[in-house]
Amino acid sequence: MKNLFEFIVEKAIFLSGAASIIFVVLIFIFLLKEGLALFGEVNFFAFLFGQNWYPISDPPQFGILPLIMGSVFVTFGAIVIAVPLGLAAAIYISEVAPHSIRGFLKSGIELLAAIPSIVLGFIGIIFLAPLLKNIFHLGSGLTALAGSIMLAFMALPTIVSIIEDAIVSVPRSYKEGALALGATHWQAIYRVTIPAAASGILAAVMLGIGRVVGETMAVLMITGNAAIMPTSLLQPVRTLTATVAAEMGEAVSGSSHYYSLFAIGIVLFIISFIINIFADIFLHRSKAMKRRKK
Amino acid sequence: MLKKVFSLFLVLSLPVFIFGCAGGGKAIQIKGSDTMVNLGQAWAEEFMKEYPAVPVAVTGGGSGTGIAALLSNSTDIAQCSRQIEPKEIALAKKKGINPKEFHVANDGIVVVVNPANKVNKLSTRQLSDIFNGKIKNWKEVGGKNEDIVVLSRERNSGTHVFFLEHVVKLGDKKSPNEFAPCVLMMPSSQAIVEEINGNTAAIGYFGLGYLTNKQKAVAVNGVLPSVKTVTLGQYPISRSLLFYTNDEPNEKVKSFIDFAMSKKGQEIVLKMDFVPIR
Amino acid sequence: MTNEVKIKIKTTDLNAWFCDKQALFNINMDIYEKKVTAIIGPSGCGKSTFIRNLNRMHETVQGARAEGSVLLDGRDIFEKKFDAVTLRREVGMVFQKATPFPTMTVYDNVAAGIKLYGRIGKEKLDEIVEKSLKQSALWNEVKDVLHKPGTSLSGGQQQRLCIARALAVNPKILLLDEPCSALDPISTGKIEELIHELKEDYTIVIVTHNMQQAARVADYTAFFLLGALIEFDVTSKIFTNPSDKRTEDYVTGRFG
Repeated sequence: MKNLFEFIVEKAIFLSGAASIIFVVLIFIFLLKEGLALFGEVNFFAFLFGQNWYPISDPPQFGILPLIMGSVFVTFGAIVIAVPLGLAAAIYISEVAPHSIRGFLKSGIELLAAIPSIVLGFIGIIFLAPLLKNIFHLGSGLTALAGSIMLAFMALPTIVSIIEDAIVSVPRSYKEGALALGATHWQAIYRVTIPAAASGILAAVMLGIGRVVGETMAVLMITGNAAIMPTSLLQPVRTLTATVAAEMGEAVSGSSHYYSLFAIGIVLFIISFIINIFADIFLHRSKAMKRRKK
Repeated sequence: MLKKVFSLFLVLSLPVFIFGCAGGGKAIQIKGSDTMVNLGQAWAEEFMKEYPAVPVAVTGGGSGTGIAALLSNSTDIAQCSRQIEPKEIALAKKKGINPKEFHVANDGIVVVVNPANKVNKLSTRQLSDIFNGKIKNWKEVGGKNEDIVVLSRERNSGTHVFFLEHVVKLGDKKSPNEFAPCVLMMPSSQAIVEEINGNTAAIGYFGLGYLTNKQKAVAVNGVLPSVKTVTLGQYPISRSLLFYTNDEPNEKVKSFIDFAMSKKGQEIVLKMDFVPIR
Repeated sequence: MTNEVKIKIKTTDLNAWFCDKQALFNINMDIYEKKVTAIIGPSGCGKSTFIRNLNRMHETVQGARAEGSVLLDGRDIFEKKFDAVTLRREVGMVFQKATPFPTMTVYDNVAAGIKLYGRIGKEKLDEIVEKSLKQSALWNEVKDVLHKPGTSLSGGQQQRLCIARALAVNPKILLLDEPCSALDPISTGKIEELIHELKEDYTIVIVTHNMQQAARVADYTAFFLLGALIEFDVTSKIFTNPSDKRTEDYVTGRFG
């Protein structure tokens, strides 16, 4: 009887673990099924590299390059803002801040993660967009930059948390070795600790990118949703995610517009997948280093 | 041990029972136009006062969303601020859906600018050129020397589709005119309202019901929009507001539609700043 | 006993704490120049804490503090004006576990300390690196793999690399905290040989839990017990004719 119980529990746990993988595969297959149907009517390269997104026109044009560029610009801007800030915050929390306020600071940063993205989008429209409009003398503050700033807030907790983890994982003996040679605290940090935490930092960047690329609500509200090929962060853009969110409701099931939105979903899925693979590789390297020194 | 397994099973299956039994008095589902959502909501509230046993659920999402829902059988009424398109009708037929149209109200689409903008009137030709990007600066239409910030609704909006056809394409379906790529696509009429309020170079459009004294409606072809000018057919950008159902609606749904088209329903139309059908 | 031997470091009433726990009680001890002084005693007796106070590494631990005076060539290293960073250049340290910097090559590891102090020409740097590696008897083994990662060397080689790294900054004093406890006998032997050579030029303090090692390499030995200095004398006396019974019990193995 006991053996039977063990057997059932074992299989149940296996199924739960397998279930998550199965769900991901099923979702991907579903995306493929609906998305690939587009390419019966539309040329693949015209889709990926076309510069005109007019899905409900007659004849429709399904070029997603402006959308890809929109996502790239917003993501790039967000990372450029969030990584230096996150690195500085993580270093401060793990190496400089007095022990007593360390926990408090970490909780504060985590709090940022608790803000719903739609609230950040709302703040973006009410405060950030008019501010950017005045500072840069733009026609409108609804720009890629507005999106980047808000998304940087969203990515910050992830980035700070992972980098802080990576720094704390660096064996103390390295820092001591540097100090014993006559390094100042800062020299020890940037010559030894930070390079040793490099894999973890890269993983943080990748996960930050992943967080940002998939963001929908905030970008829908504050980037202007204009499907142009952007040349600067001060222009409105249209991201892949916002396009799907805005247009899925009205795309009639079975139309080429409907399939095109799934095709965008495939593109997003692949981008996220690649980013997560890299993050994984870097995280493993970081852990291997930690293990090696044990 | 067996007892533990059984109680676990019971706990895990609880949600199934709860959700399974929730389908008590089935509500009338109305989905579609954001322009009409407040109107639909107002009708629903009055209707439910008279027929408390029949709940009515109204959601927006855009006319296109409403029609898509009709085609996938997830709504009883699709409310639309534009007509159903031939493509959509064909697709409906393929799915065994037979859309039936009800004309329940009228609406004017106002073109708005910030009150500080000195431009008061524009022709439909000028509007077409502004929204398709040919005219880029206010000074070309008698205003200040600043670039025009053009706002539009998203593609799922019936208002967008109507404006595209009747203003940007000037009523000619074959016209190659489109909204310019640099036009900012706002997620809702309210978002357009907010942007216009704060931006002196902006121009946008939405239904008559959204107009407040914080924006200025321009006269189109010399006619200012109002309930009167829309009813008399003088204001050039007017449209019918419609309900679509699958075939003849059932009794419950029919009673709602009759209510909307009744005298009481039309009084509500007027109260919501739309235009009654008579 | 002392002859013309100079006192390099003199500690007076040195007390040290980790938060509220006192780890050292009134240590009064002299370290003689260019001699090897071994610190022995059972686990937890304060040996490491003691030498970590000689280069003020003790205070880098959260909550740790020390009182008393430690005179290096007559100057109190605990004085406010005395810069701990400069101190550590003069007093080098090699730790129990060899920790070459993981992201650096063999060459860069040795050069790491020198690079901290400012720009230095490549030729001069090459010179110093070669000299240090020769001093730590590692040059012949690594001269062809200078640009491989420091961590690719064997355990014993890594420890000698750390010694080379410490020597590269030209300290006067070398503190060795149980440098061989993680190494095999052959590597241990090599390092003990090294210590014999190095004491010509450097003052060496070595902490060891291996009494035979102390007997082999040290000129003077200090016996610590529970944070106090029990006996300090010439090595041969400590091991053949200790004055304190506790010392005798320890060196004869009655307790460990």
